[in-house]
This record gives sequence, C-alpha cells and structure tokens, in this order.
Amino acid sequence: MLACRQLGKSYATERGVVAAVAGVDLEVPAGQFAAIIGRSGSGKSTLMAMIGGLSRPSTGTVKIDGTDLWQLSENALAAFRNEKIGYVFQFASLLPTLRLIDNVTLPAMLGRRRPEADILTRAGRLLERMGLGAYLDAYPAEISAGEQRRVAIARALINDPELLLADEPTSDLDEQTEIEIMDELLTINREVGTTLVLVTHNLALAGRAQQIFHIANGAIVT
Amino acid sequence: MRLLTGLALQNLGRRKARSFLLVAAVAIGSGIVFTGATLMRSIDDSMAVGFSRLGADMMVVPDGTLTNITAALLTVEPTDLVLDADTLDKARLASLGRVAPQKIVRVEHSGIGNHHESADLIGFDPARDFTIQPWLRERLNRELKPGDVILGAGRDAPLGSQLLIFGKPHVVYGKLGRTGVGTHERGVFMSFATLEALAGAMSHHGGPGPAALARGKVTGFLVELAPGATALQARFAILSAVKGVKVVTGDSALSGIRQGLAALLDGMLALVVLMFASTAVMVSVLFSAIITERRTELGLLKAIGARRSQMVGMMIVEAMIATGVGGVLGVALGVLVMHLYERSLVYYLENIGVPFIWLDLPRTVAFAAAAIVLAAAIGALGALYPAWRASRRDAYDLVRGEG
Repeated sequence: MLACRQLGKSYATERGVVAAVAGVDLEVPAGQFAAIIGRSGSGKSTLMAMIGGLSRPSTGTVKIDGTDLWQLSENALAAFRNEKIGYVFQFASLLPTLRLIDNVTLPAMLGRRRPEADILTRAGRLLERMGLGAYLDAYPAEISAGEQRRVAIARALINDPELLLADEPTSDLDEQTEIEIMDELLTINREVGTTLVLVTHNLALAGRAQQIFHIANGAIVT
Repeated sequence: MRLLTGLALQNLGRRKARSFLLVAAVAIGSGIVFTGATLMRSIDDSMAVGFSRLGADMMVVPDGTLTNITAALLTVEPTDLVLDADTLDKARLASLGRVAPQKIVRVEHSGIGNHHESADLIGFDPARDFTIQPWLRERLNRELKPGDVILGAGRDAPLGSQLLIFGKPHVVYGKLGRTGVGTHERGVFMSFATLEALAGAMSHHGGPGPAALARGKVTGFLVELAPGATALQARFAILSAVKGVKVVTGDSALSGIRQGLAALLDGMLALVVLMFASTAVMVSVLFSAIITERRTELGLLKAIGARRSQMVGMMIVEAMIATGVGGVLGVALGVLVMHLYERSLVYYLENIGVPFIWLDLPRTVAFAAAAIVLAAAIGALGALYPAWRASRRDAYDLVRGEG
C-alpha cells in the first residue's frame, strides 16, 4: 500500500544543509495500522508530510498503491491528496468561518466528484458517528478542542480515503479525550480497512500498532 | 465557484474593519478615476463644442466700424457702412479658411419685444455660416427656409410660433444657447433672403432703409484662418488686397484658456493613472499581508486537495468582491462629488464662453461600468501575485506558518 524508498528532506540554512529526514525506507501493507515514534525534532512530521504529499522530498520516492506521488503533476497530486489521503493534523485545523458540516464537506466539495446532497448526507452521518450530530450548524469556536479533532477526523474520512495519516492528533488533548480519539481512529482502521499511519510520542498508543517505526535524527532506527 | 465565492465572502466578513478600510480605499481611488475620466471627457467635449462655436479667428469690417471683441465671439456693431458680399472671395487669399458674411441691422418699432425696444436683425448665409448655427440649442425638425427666424437666448417664443416683424409673419425656427454676447442674446437671426425681404417694410416705416439690406452688400465677414496660417499673415494679406477695411482679431486670452484647460486635463490624467497604480500596489501589499496571516488555512486547503487554481481563485474572488464593491461605492461617490463640483466648474467655463456639457447618459454609464470593472481588476491584479506565490509553497510549509 505505502512504500517509501530512500526518502530524504534537507533544508539549506545559514549554517549549511541540514537533513531533517535521510534515507528512510518503510512499507505499510494495506489496512494496517503503523505508528511512527520519536522525540520532538526527530523528523516524524516531516516524514509524514512527504508521505502525505504535503512536502516535496529532496530525495527518494513515496508510492501509494503503486502511484509515485511526487512524479504526479500539481493538479494530479492535489486530486490524489483529495481522493486517496485523509489527514488529521496536530492542531484543530478547521476553518473558523465554516459550520462544522461545511468543514467536513469541504474536501468532497473541492473534489467535485459526488452530488452535493450525497456529500451532505455522508458528512452528517460522519459527524453523528463522532457524536456531533447535534452540532452540524455549529461553528468550530462553539465546540471543545476534542470535538474539533473529531470533526477533523470526519473531514479526513469524507472522501473514503485509502490512507489516513494522523500527525500527533491528540497531543494537546486530555488523557480521556486522547483515548476516545484513538479508539475512533482504530475502529475506522479495523472496520473500514483504512490504512492508518500515526505519528505519536505516546509509546502506549504506539503499542497498539501492527508496525512501529522509531525515528531518530531523521533516520529510522528500528 | 460557489464554494470559493462563499469562502471569499466569509473571509471578508471575518475582518470587517479591514474589509471596510479596503473597500473605502478602493472607493476613493475608483471615485477619483471615475470622476476624473468623466470630467475630462465632459470638459474635452465642452471645449470642442465651445471652441467650435467661437468659430471665427478674425473679422473683416468696413473701416470706421465699431467692433465688439469678447472672449467668446467677435461681433460687429450695427452700422450703415457696408462691403460688397464678394469682397474677400475676389481677393482669393490663401491664408483664409471659411468666410461667413453677415448683415446686421438695428431696428426699432419692429414689433419684436416692447414697442420702443431696439432689436438687432442679423442676416447670415446658411450655406457659409459657421458662427451662428453651432449655437442652435433647439430647432424645428427641418431645414431653415425663407421666413424662418432664429432667436437669441435672451428672447422667448415657442418653436414654430409666429413672430411678426414689421407686420410680416415669420416662423420661430430655432433658439440659440447662451453666448454671453449681448447682440447675440437679444438678436433675431435669419437668412439673407429673409432679411432682405424686410427692406420694403423697413423703408415704409421711414427712410430709405439700412444699406446692409441691399442685395450683395454685407456688414462684415467672420473669417477663419486657413490651417497653418497666422492671424498676422492673414491681416497683412487682407489689408494689402482689400482697401477700406479693418481687420479685428479675437481675444488672445483664448489661446491661454485652451492651453490652461489642456494642462488641467493632462494633470487629471496623470492623477488618474497615479491613483490606479497606487491602489493596485496597496491592494497587493494588503493581500500579501492577508495571505501571510492565513497561511495555515491555505495550507490546510491545499492539504485536503485544493488545486492551485482553486487557491488562487479564492483569493482573487475575495479581492475582486472587495474592490468591486469599492468600485460601486466609488462611482456613487464620484457622482456626488461631480454634483458638488458642477457649480464652480460650469461657472468657470461658462464665464469664458465655453458652455459645460455633461457627458451623455450612455457614456456616463459606460464610464461607471468601466470604473467598477477597473476596480475589480485592480483587486484581481493586486491579489494575483501574492496568491500565486502562496499557492506554489508546499502545503506543509503553509500549515506550519512558513513561506
């Protein structure tokens, strides 16, 4: 499903070239749950961004279902991200001017592959599943941080992605909410078969994954 | 498109004060552009009409005639001194362009106005005239024919009504606009044939009748210079070829006025261009700041699959809505300013004999539409570069607030 070969990202700084990620090889079969762990600044998020098509690698390839992500044109890559990848960030990441239902429908509306009515129905169901069925018309500022994260998960799922990437999605939440969110992500992974890659520094959470990649100084160490 | 427009509107509504200031700035800019362009065109048209009405560059009259030189028109005082109507034609002077012969007769007890009121009857050759007919403000929907008279702006009678002159019926064919010249304001204009037909009636009221009414005789000539000729050249040419005449040239202040107005128009044009450029730069700077502020949101949109064209489109739509609304308000502001400006401008121009003519409605509407489209285009242009630059960044950099 997901295969990275010699993936690397370096930045030019005043003190010379700094490698954030270097020579990463990893494979995650379809439907599996993989965790990427490491300390702050180890390159986890940069690796995740390259896997998700958000940051162009300096070296190497990222293939999802055989498609070499970074060989795609700008528009094709945008369409691929929209259709195949769901992304949950480590911050709320909702548009404050949109209602919850509109935030969830946004990726599908941008993709324009389904009728608007179908999109709204599916968004409503996803929000209900996240326990937010009563807040469809609410704005992000009117709900808690944990609820906002659930809305972000619903938005990530609106296009039925094959790969769900979650970059420390619970880092700023309390323990109970963190457990609930993670349970939700694992349920989706099990029930829908969506491949899940989670970046975390919580070893207990990582322990529930089928694969764990430990990254340090930009390289996979175990 | 609906989604992008919706997002753009919501973004504008999110920062109401900033959006208001942007709209206000563009309104002022586009108001100046609209007002400037409309006034420039109106003044240009007014000058064209006004100066074409001035017509004559000089006047040729019998030596000894009293003349009246005004800023707007060269006129001759009624006199018994006359010239042959073909005097200048026979001289065949290359420095002369169009030549309009005129007959002027001052009469009393003519039946025009009050009993004792004197009236100037001014005869002209409709085929050669270029100084009277351009002042026609309204006229019957047909050609001038014998028996028709044209009234100066100072006289009032309905078009088509009958006017008795020395007991003979005439038809009011048209009315002149205000010229600011007394003889023209109170004058009654008619063709040579109509005027000459009154000779009998005038002599019946006493004396042999004015010499100017004799066929083939005129009071004077209004003369236009040939292209490239100077007034001095023409004056020498006339005086050496024709005896017993004097040449009167117009007020030299007119050329100064023309130059002054031309400089004013140039200044307004420069102001309009400057306003356009500065508004575009301001919108661009503002949208650079807006985009910097919203990097995370743009990154998020890119991350969930927004194409570059959609991101750029959203920013451009947002800018176009703000500046387009500014354009509409600017046009409204411009209309208001022009109404305030109208009095002093019209007073100034009409004081120098140039009647101010507002642009006609279709062209004013076209200017207004152009100002609004221009304002929206400024928004699009201003937002284009910062939006395009942001759309090129990696989504990850934008989400992290970089770039």
